[in-house]
Amino acid sequence: MDSLYLLIPVALVLVALGIKLLLWAIDNGQYEDLDKEAWRILAEDRESDPKKTDSQVSGDD
Amino acid sequence: MAEHAQDVTVKPKACYHCGEAVPAGVRLEIDISGEARSMCCPGCMAVAGMITSNGLENFYRQRSAYSERPVEGENLDTEKFLIYDQQELAENFSQYEENGDLTARLLLGGITCAACTWLIEQTLSPIDGVQQVAVNLQQSRLDIRFDPETLKLSEVFARVEALGYRAQPFQTSARKEQQRDEYRSDLRRLGVAGFGMMQVGMFAVALHAGDIQGIEEQYQGLLRGFSLLVSSFIVYYSAGTFFQTAWRHLKRGALVMDLPVALAIGLAWLASAWATFTGTGQVYFDSVVMFTFFLLLGRFLEARVRQRHAMTWFDAESTLPDAVRVKRASGWTTIARSQLVKGDVALVQAGQTIPADARVLNGESAVREDTFNGEHLPRSVVEADTVYAGTVNVEAALQIEVQGSYADSRLAALQRSVEVAETEKPQLAKMADRIASWFVAGVLLITSATALIWWQIAPEQALWVSLSVLVISCPCALALATPAALTSAASALRAGGVIVRGENALETLSRTTHLLFDKTGTLTEGSLTVQTLRLLSPLPKSEVLKLCAGLQHWSNHPVGGAFTTVEDAVTFTNVDYTVGAGIEGQYADQSYRMGSEQFCRQICPDLPPLPEEPLYWVALCQGGTAIAWIGLNDQLREEAPGVVAQARDGGLQVGLLTGDSSPQGPLLARELGINDIYIGLEPQQKMQRVQQLQNESAVVAMVGDGLNDAPVLSLADTSFAVAGATDLARTQADFVIVGGNLAAVTNTWKKAIACRRIILQNFAWALGYNLSAIPLAASGHVPPWAAAIGMSLSSLLVVANSLRLNRSSLNREERLG
Repeated sequence: MDSLYLLIPVALVLVALGIKLLLWAIDNGQYEDLDKEAWRILAEDRESDPKKTDSQVSGDD
Repeated sequence: MAEHAQDVTVKPKACYHCGEAVPAGVRLEIDISGEARSMCCPGCMAVAGMITSNGLENFYRQRSAYSERPVEGENLDTEKFLIYDQQELAENFSQYEENGDLTARLLLGGITCAACTWLIEQTLSPIDGVQQVAVNLQQSRLDIRFDPETLKLSEVFARVEALGYRAQPFQTSARKEQQRDEYRSDLRRLGVAGFGMMQVGMFAVALHAGDIQGIEEQYQGLLRGFSLLVSSFIVYYSAGTFFQTAWRHLKRGALVMDLPVALAIGLAWLASAWATFTGTGQVYFDSVVMFTFFLLLGRFLEARVRQRHAMTWFDAESTLPDAVRVKRASGWTTIARSQLVKGDVALVQAGQTIPADARVLNGESAVREDTFNGEHLPRSVVEADTVYAGTVNVEAALQIEVQGSYADSRLAALQRSVEVAETEKPQLAKMADRIASWFVAGVLLITSATALIWWQIAPEQALWVSLSVLVISCPCALALATPAALTSAASALRAGGVIVRGENALETLSRTTHLLFDKTGTLTEGSLTVQTLRLLSPLPKSEVLKLCAGLQHWSNHPVGGAFTTVEDAVTFTNVDYTVGAGIEGQYADQSYRMGSEQFCRQICPDLPPLPEEPLYWVALCQGGTAIAWIGLNDQLREEAPGVVAQARDGGLQVGLLTGDSSPQGPLLARELGINDIYIGLEPQQKMQRVQQLQNESAVVAMVGDGLNDAPVLSLADTSFAVAGATDLARTQADFVIVGGNLAAVTNTWKKAIACRRIILQNFAWALGYNLSAIPLAASGHVPPWAAAIGMSLSSLLVVANSLRLNRSSLNREERLG
């Protein structure tokens, strides 16, 4: 049971990491247009370079 | 998605691109994915050709709605975009990045589904110099980053326009920014609370298991300690908003739902923290965090419904063109509208919108002023007449002398009256708010009474029992009751072509007592159709129609629209158009005239007098022989009688408010069975009538269309706008009927009533649960963990009940269909 002293802090670090990621995603505008993203993931891209149609441009301003 | 796409493709004789009927005699075909598809007009043809030649046929397979029909003529004029290459104009919506790239924001018109965003991104991204492209579907916004050395801003506009979308600079406003920031911070709080809930929940499971089967004190202390750590962060980060709101209102002496929430969270957290430090009693960190999460979820859902379509709002100025042709010493040049000054001479082609209030210098034409009077028949203008910004020049080019800036224009006055009407609109308190303050007062009373009584009986229990009362009465289900039902109803309505934009719109609509309609464009189609033909010669009806269609083919006048469905129109030569009078042309060595009585009588003195029926009459003559009187009419919408009857049967007072003073109004009202008729009303009088009803404590729902109704729509308690394919920004209403099907009015009304019923059920359940559990808790029989489970189940039930709104709509539509 002593392992708890290590495992719980590790879990907390992971949670903190998760929260950090979530906040980054929100500030990055990734939750701004949920309808489109839901559709986009199913759409086939043309052979084009996928980086270019990344929806990150909208980010912060 | 695939099913939608199929629906779009199978309709016979519809344009493959925009879905409008292909006019008879038009044979435009294009090869898309190996099949020949018919097009309705050269505009659609050009756009479809553009899409296929870029290898983007996938667009047609993936879209879930037809595209908008591109505007003909004007869209080919790319010169108008050149103004955006001017630094001072571009600065408003673009900025330079550190490496010299330019980022620009454009507002796009005509985005109908997610596939449109794909199409635009795929078309723009391969262009040389483009670094990044992203289209935001919800806001119809394009963000593009490119190298201004290789690509010009005007070129971006032109490319977007070539795809059949209308591009204009995106205006950021403080309100939009604020909305976005609120959305983001709501989401942050909710997300963090969610993470915290999972973590604290995990500890709580261990602690509860420990309660049952025994746990060593050091591990209990450890788990409690970490629970305290996580929940402290959540209380500070996520629940902080409750404390702030409660305090802000308390300072003004108002009791809000946030007060017991803040009390419960604060007390439970404090007491649990105390128990952790002293190693005695119970901890309820899981309840604290769970409360926070569910309450935030309710708020978030509610805010999302509210904001979703409120992204755009009434902006009359956006209807004006950005670029204007003006006369300068060096000749005609294109400048930005913002650079127009009094005394400038501008050129307005047929079909263009007049950019400023002005006086006609040169030319004869007719202007359609539906912006101000709602009528679709144009007013003739000649030299020295005044024309207004926002009206459309219909017949021929005009040279105008600008009279003043936008702020002085009639259109700006309309915008201001909308804003004034907004503030005068009666505010009906939200049901939840009305219940809340009573509920809050009750909860606080009961809690203090419980604490007081337990203090007498067993002082060491007092805090925990009163906390149980606070926890069990915590209005999670109550807080979800309204937003869950509204979200569900709004998404059901969206599927039926109605966009809900107003904040309390559904709730207000369910209490409506009066339903008022505008006439032109609302109860009627808003365009002319042939009602009767008075044949004056042996020529059969079908031949007469073919002649009319052949002549009207050359005209921009709304009369022309009545004949576009006629097949095999005759081809005329030497066609000559006389503004404000009619049209003449040669066919088979005969000269024909069609138009006003006066115009035709010039060559045909035998023309019988104008028939008496109240219709819009035009004559057709072949040389000196009268052929026919054609009676045109703005036809009643097919579904209008049903809608009026349903509303009346449902107990609503139905009325008609129209600006038209012709006998058409009463005639139509009688046909529909409307008794409450007001004709020939100025917009101001319409507003007075609505205000008068409101003073008699009526709840008024107004149905209208277009800009001219905007003030009265904002004044009414709740409002519908029948919008064709026009921009949402041009309509000011709580409900926007996108498909133009009037039946949506009564459907929405029924949905609103159903929604109200569901909300009441939710309230009944939530209150009933809370009220029956409070005595149990007050007598010390409910441990807080049981209260927390009960609360979650209660919330789930409320959500499940609300989802019924979504399902029942489908069934009803199936039955109707």
